[in-house]
Amino acid sequence: MDALVALMDGFATALSPINLLWSIVGVTLGTLIGILPGIGPALTIALLLPVTRNLDPTGAFIMFAGLYYGAMYGSSTTSILLNTPGESGSIVTALEGNRMARSGRGAAALSTAAIGSFVAGTLGTLGLTLLAPQFVKFALLFGPAEYFALMVLAFTTVTAVLGASKLRGVISLLLGLAVGLAGTDILTGQPRLVFGIPSMLRGIDIVVVAVGLFAVGEALFMASRKDLRSAEILPIKGSLFMTREEWRRSWKPWLRGTAIGFPFGCLPAGGTEIPTFLSYAVEKKLARKPEEFGHGAIEGVAGPEAANNAAVAGVLVPLLTLGLPTSATAAILLAAFEQYNLQPGPMLFSGSSTLVWGLIASLYIGNVMLLVLNLPLVGLWVRLLSIPQPLLYSGILLFSTLGVYSMSNSVFDLMVLFVVGIVGFLMRRHDFPVAPAIIGLIMGPLAEAQFRRALTISQGDPIVFLSHPLSLFLLTCSLAMIVVPIILRLVARQTPSSIR
Amino acid sequence: MQKPISRAGLLIGLGLLLAAAVIGYDAATMNVPAVHAKVGPRVFPTLVSIGLAVAAIAHFWQCSRGQFHEAEGTTDWFAVGTIAAALVIHMNILKPLGFLPAGIFLFTMVAFAFGSRRLLRDVVVGIVVVGLTYFAFTRFLGLQLPPGILGWIV
Repeated sequence: MDALVALMDGFATALSPINLLWSIVGVTLGTLIGILPGIGPALTIALLLPVTRNLDPTGAFIMFAGLYYGAMYGSSTTSILLNTPGESGSIVTALEGNRMARSGRGAAALSTAAIGSFVAGTLGTLGLTLLAPQFVKFALLFGPAEYFALMVLAFTTVTAVLGASKLRGVISLLLGLAVGLAGTDILTGQPRLVFGIPSMLRGIDIVVVAVGLFAVGEALFMASRKDLRSAEILPIKGSLFMTREEWRRSWKPWLRGTAIGFPFGCLPAGGTEIPTFLSYAVEKKLARKPEEFGHGAIEGVAGPEAANNAAVAGVLVPLLTLGLPTSATAAILLAAFEQYNLQPGPMLFSGSSTLVWGLIASLYIGNVMLLVLNLPLVGLWVRLLSIPQPLLYSGILLFSTLGVYSMSNSVFDLMVLFVVGIVGFLMRRHDFPVAPAIIGLIMGPLAEAQFRRALTISQGDPIVFLSHPLSLFLLTCSLAMIVVPIILRLVARQTPSSIR
Repeated sequence: MQKPISRAGLLIGLGLLLAAAVIGYDAATMNVPAVHAKVGPRVFPTLVSIGLAVAAIAHFWQCSRGQFHEAEGTTDWFAVGTIAAALVIHMNILKPLGFLPAGIFLFTMVAFAFGSRRLLRDVVVGIVVVGLTYFAFTRFLGLQLPPGILGWIV
């Protein structure tokens, strides 16, 4: 029940006028960037980092979290009306949602997406409230060896699960780790990969890399593909009030989507994308009329849209309690914690409980705001979609260069941004997932520090990683992530021949 | 029929090998005091370097089996080149000419690359957006942006 008392205190924090204002700013901005294709929560929070450096951390995090939730709400609108996902978490929504809009049921699709997001967001936040204190108790058992093992597990899952090819995931992760090496080694002061350039001594900032991959790389990619450029915006047709039939068909997918999305968000598997695919597959299997799938089945919108919001709540559990980012946006949020010299984990819950519980409470409030913002006002937001694409990308690149430059008034950072942008373009073009690079970049130095700390404590004896039961367990899990799929593939290759 | 090995795939593999070599060389040439020899700053770079080299070899092997993900659709290299050139010019004129001209130039060029041929509209929108941003950043957020040649106006 401690959690409830803490949550009540959190509401007191979150309901203060200034924090309410930050919440409104966050959810509004989140909806805005969710709707606009080409700009997502990871990029936006990265661009906001330099600007929010002098802000009160509680207010800043309330804004960031509201933004992350809001992006998931807004992106469904773009998926449904434009057939282009606003964010990667809404790719699946376009499948059925856009069909519904084409057959004049766009309003119902928007409704089930928004209400489903609200249900899942609220249940997910409840899950976060109840689970976080348990996770904190668990995290207290962690020493350097366990933290290192946990990060190894995160590296393996993020590369094994994301994207079409494991090798491309591994390459992306290694590139992130490589960039993370650059700069002055924290423990010894040894410069690494500096090449005699003074600006390199402080390393390459995650903001530069995130903006390079998500904004410059994405803009170059979109410019390179004329065929992806034009899209038709469908008008909202039908009534925003769902019929009894639509409610009946929606509520179960909402709950199932939540049940799929929340645990997936907690896992280091890249956040919101995979649970939406799973939810879609489940709804298609369970639907009473599976033949409607592909022609605008409401279940195919309700389930995935609930799943992506629940996943966002899930992502916050390991981020706040263990300092473990499971998605690109979470990695940027971890960078935000570092900016304020805050260390997510058990210490955060004891030392900055006002911030943590204020943040969690603000999510309940933000969800209500988002429902209001996204249902009655959806007509206003849709006008954003009529911003001509050239101007949209002009604006994105203008703010990207501005944000990176203003970090430390350095033209060198702009050069790095350009190089990362070219790499990002190639990665996007040849289907390399980007999230492992971002997670590798922020987690690499942390993993290295824990690795060396563990070995210093054990006086250089590497057995320490295997003699601690929890660390052994986590490392076994990571090994299983790599080995089990290979065995399964071999077995699958064997079986048909033995039958023959 | 044997598919020809992808040129883009080969170049990406070579890039990975180069990165592995640079990181490995950097780790090998570090002057590490003996105190830190055991678990010093060399261990992780060495691991990353080996990892990249192994990944590059695996990548070449996949390419040779035609498993490389080729770019889809047709590529508009002119648009890519325009944006790349705009970014390079932007970073070079930002300090000498100032944020306003550099920003308006970048804004207009990117819009042009994305197929907009309404130059007047783009320039006007660019001036408004860049101007408002400059004002907001320097007056409200207290950040320094290079005023450049238009410094006397703002």
